[in-house]
Amino acid sequence: MNLILNKRDPIYLQVMHFLKKEIVAGHLKPGEEILSRRQLANDLKINPNTVQRAYSEMEAEQLIYTEPNKPSKVTEDPNVLRQLKSEWVNQAVKEFVSAIQTVDITIDEVTDLIKTEMNHHKNGG
Amino acid sequence: MIEVKDIHKNFGRKKVLKGVSFTVNKGEITCLIGINGVGKTTILNAIMDLTPIKRGEILIDEKQHSPEMYNQITFIPDAAIMLPGMTIQQAMDFMKEYHSVWNEKRAKDLLRFFKLKVSDKIQDLSKGNVAKVNLLMGLSLDVDYILMDEPFSGIDIFTREQITEVFSSRLVEDRGVLITTHEISDIEHLIDKVLLLDDGVIMKEFYAEAMRENEGKSVVDVLREVYEG
Repeated sequence: MNLILNKRDPIYLQVMHFLKKEIVAGHLKPGEEILSRRQLANDLKINPNTVQRAYSEMEAEQLIYTEPNKPSKVTEDPNVLRQLKSEWVNQAVKEFVSAIQTVDITIDEVTDLIKTEMNHHKNGG
Repeated sequence: MIEVKDIHKNFGRKKVLKGVSFTVNKGEITCLIGINGVGKTTILNAIMDLTPIKRGEILIDEKQHSPEMYNQITFIPDAAIMLPGMTIQQAMDFMKEYHSVWNEKRAKDLLRFFKLKVSDKIQDLSKGNVAKVNLLMGLSLDVDYILMDEPFSGIDIFTREQITEVFSSRLVEDRGVLITTHEISDIEHLIDKVLLLDDGVIMKEFYAEAMRENEGKSVVDVLREVYEG
């Protein structure tokens, strides 16, 4: 599993962030089963109580759902998924803007850079 | 719940424990941290009623020490606990004979998980494999509380990883675990509650995840503050 934990942020938030990223990126599809709490705790060598907390929070946010005695699944609700995606992008844009706000650059220049970068990624770069 | 209430202990004139109080809850991993020689093992021995205490009280599920408590709680020390001439199979048979709460299925699962050979003699095992055998013996008892003394001390990185995996597995689920260590960085992500023992008292007690969430500090950050601040 491609998640390296840092020691200062709450682990349940790091786990939630990771799962959200997997959903936004489409690696976890709507309706797809996610790892059991136990399996995830074991893979990451973290406390099962912490994974439980991450899953409970994600259930509360309706990003995952759990039917009795079945593995949790990613939501199929398009509204919830749309909202997750827009929150994700908003957050990324905020971080980006805050990182470059002190740099002397115009919006047009930035827009061009973003376009170039996105094309680069699209072409498998 | 294990309740340790204001326990005191002297070795000769030296006061080792000067009023130690804490609890160990079921379903949580509690970690007793302190540099060597501050009394961690003494506390475990006191909980197991293996050493008398001068003052204070220890309750296990609200009851005082009794012979029955050994069906509820087990202690995994950091040295070999079985006779060195025994094979792993003989050691398991001994445990089965001696303990009514021995869980043969779990023992076999652990044997496979640790890739141990039942025909090996304890005296021929590496330190890492001795640690695994000790864990196997302790975890195969259907008890509510598990005490472990320095489970990660002096063993190779692969054994450490395996032992860490045991802690996040079904094998300890719902049980109350108390481990001592002087080396925390490997297991920061694994533990619930941290107890910092220094100078005979619990200097600080906190939940690791709450510390990260509320103060943005790692367990090692807090240790540094207490010991250097």
